[in-house]
Amino acid sequence: MSLTMRNLAGWGLRGLLIALALVVALAPFVVLFFNSLRPADEFLSEGAGLIPSRLTLEHYAEIFDPARDTFRYLINSVVVTTSSTVLAVLFGALAAYALARLRLPFKLSLIIGVMFLVVRFYPKITVALPYYLLMREFHLLDTHLAVIIAHVSMTVPFVVWMLLAFFEDFPRELEQSAMVDGCGPIRRFVLIVMPLMAPALAAAAVLTAFLSWNEFLMASTVAPNAAKTLPVRVSGFITDKGILWGAMSAMSSVIIIPVALFALFTQRYLTRGLTAGAVKG
Amino acid sequence: MSIPLSLPEAQRPAGFLGRLEARLGETGILLLFLVPALIIVIGAQFYPLASSAVISLFDWRLSRSPTIGPFVGLDNYVRTFSDPIFAGTVSYTIIFAISSTALQLLLGLGIALLTVGEGYTLRLVRTLLMLPMVVAPVAVGTIWRMILSARVGPLNQALAGIGIDGPNWLGDPTWAAFSLIMIDAWEWTPFVAITLTAALTSLPSDLIRAASVDGAGPWKTFRHIVLPMLMPVIVLVAMFRLIEAFLTLDIVFTTTAGGPGYATHTLSFWIYQQGLKYFNISYAAASSWVMLLLCVAIALGFLAWRRHITSWQVSR
Repeated sequence: MSLTMRNLAGWGLRGLLIALALVVALAPFVVLFFNSLRPADEFLSEGAGLIPSRLTLEHYAEIFDPARDTFRYLINSVVVTTSSTVLAVLFGALAAYALARLRLPFKLSLIIGVMFLVVRFYPKITVALPYYLLMREFHLLDTHLAVIIAHVSMTVPFVVWMLLAFFEDFPRELEQSAMVDGCGPIRRFVLIVMPLMAPALAAAAVLTAFLSWNEFLMASTVAPNAAKTLPVRVSGFITDKGILWGAMSAMSSVIIIPVALFALFTQRYLTRGLTAGAVKG
Repeated sequence: MSIPLSLPEAQRPAGFLGRLEARLGETGILLLFLVPALIIVIGAQFYPLASSAVISLFDWRLSRSPTIGPFVGLDNYVRTFSDPIFAGTVSYTIIFAISSTALQLLLGLGIALLTVGEGYTLRLVRTLLMLPMVVAPVAVGTIWRMILSARVGPLNQALAGIGIDGPNWLGDPTWAAFSLIMIDAWEWTPFVAITLTAALTSLPSDLIRAASVDGAGPWKTFRHIVLPMLMPVIVLVAMFRLIEAFLTLDIVFTTTAGGPGYATHTLSFWIYQQGLKYFNISYAAASSWVMLLLCVAIALGFLAWRRHITSWQVSR
């Protein structure tokens, strides 16, 4: 009896702590969301409650006003994120497969692998300025391509390392029988390896998409105007004269809502992508 | 391994792909597979990295000249080290990174222990707790800027409700420095929680059951069995988080913009200002290389520590 009482108390405490964690993690989003629907004149009045006196879509209408280009930034973000994701996963999968199968002299495979790993650990600010100069040289400043190249170069190393771990326990017999049938590496990769890798590729794609959608430094460096992505637009609110709380909340919601929904549906892949490299299995 | 190539002509697969594979050979094609990834990483990461090392040895201010100036040796580095603002920035960044990482590890471990397990509810809880980490850091900044607003922010209004006169969270230098640490910890605790949950799940459960059968209480089991087995993962996660906290840039832009004064200038933010706002390219390049070397030092330190821990575990 006393044991069950203690169990019950333990469960109660656990539930209470989990509820507390949920409130701390989610309350800020609730505040943001309600503020994006709050009438403008209510922002500066002290004593306004969490929930606005009336809900309005005026801030969304305002930011999506054709004169403000928000729609273009949204398109920019979508173009950059999808292209970066497709290219990073494709290039990363090819490279990981090659690294897993090639027997290179002088430990070259290891050297290339470590090279990819290093990209994760140095400050991207060191690369940002010379990358800006490089893009100026190629007349690519303020284009989608400049941002896409930057994002692919940052995320390909992640993809390679995730998939290398996957190839460690990839069944080679399947490939060998195809080899006997005369299948070269291109067809083996497309017909056998890719389909079996689908879950790992999905995890890599999900992680890449998040990184690209949220990335600020490189995008703001090489695409300050026409090719501007949403994170760069959001950061612009700090320099605007006075803070437009409503518009800022609406714009932040526009950037948050898609990834939040995406995260709910891809949680399994996202978790796998994030924990790869730190935890085995 | 040369089986396909030694096949008689008649048995070789026809078609474009077959001919291509036959001509280039196994190794040739695999080498080609490496090319796109290598070109893009070398071209867009390592080449800029190397050119920033070169630029740091010259005198180049883009505001004065579109082309690179005279060679000045280590002058930019000397200037970096004698700049009191740089020193202040470094010390804030170190305090910021260590406090935020420590908070994330403590809270993340707590959340992992609370939410580990099977079942629909726990999975949903874990997914919801992930949200702070998946949204754009610049948006995290705007959210907290709003919440922490001194006069009309909901936090100070709530505090006023219980009779506390809340501080000027982002306007006062000390509070701003503190607030930024809390925001970063809020954003990244989920990463620690997720990784440690995965690590906890992969622990051998029979060992933990054996310990409780032997009469070890939950605390003893945790302290003497679970924690030591988690240590290698914890050290690795601490390294990831410490280095990334050390590089923090985005949230500074949308919360304090480095202010008031220089109170919340992280190293990345300061270098960004020097390079991309004032266009002191050489100076920014030199400072960023100092920062890069600090990162390398942190990483090597952690890797040595991890090797120490794992070898100690194996030798037991």
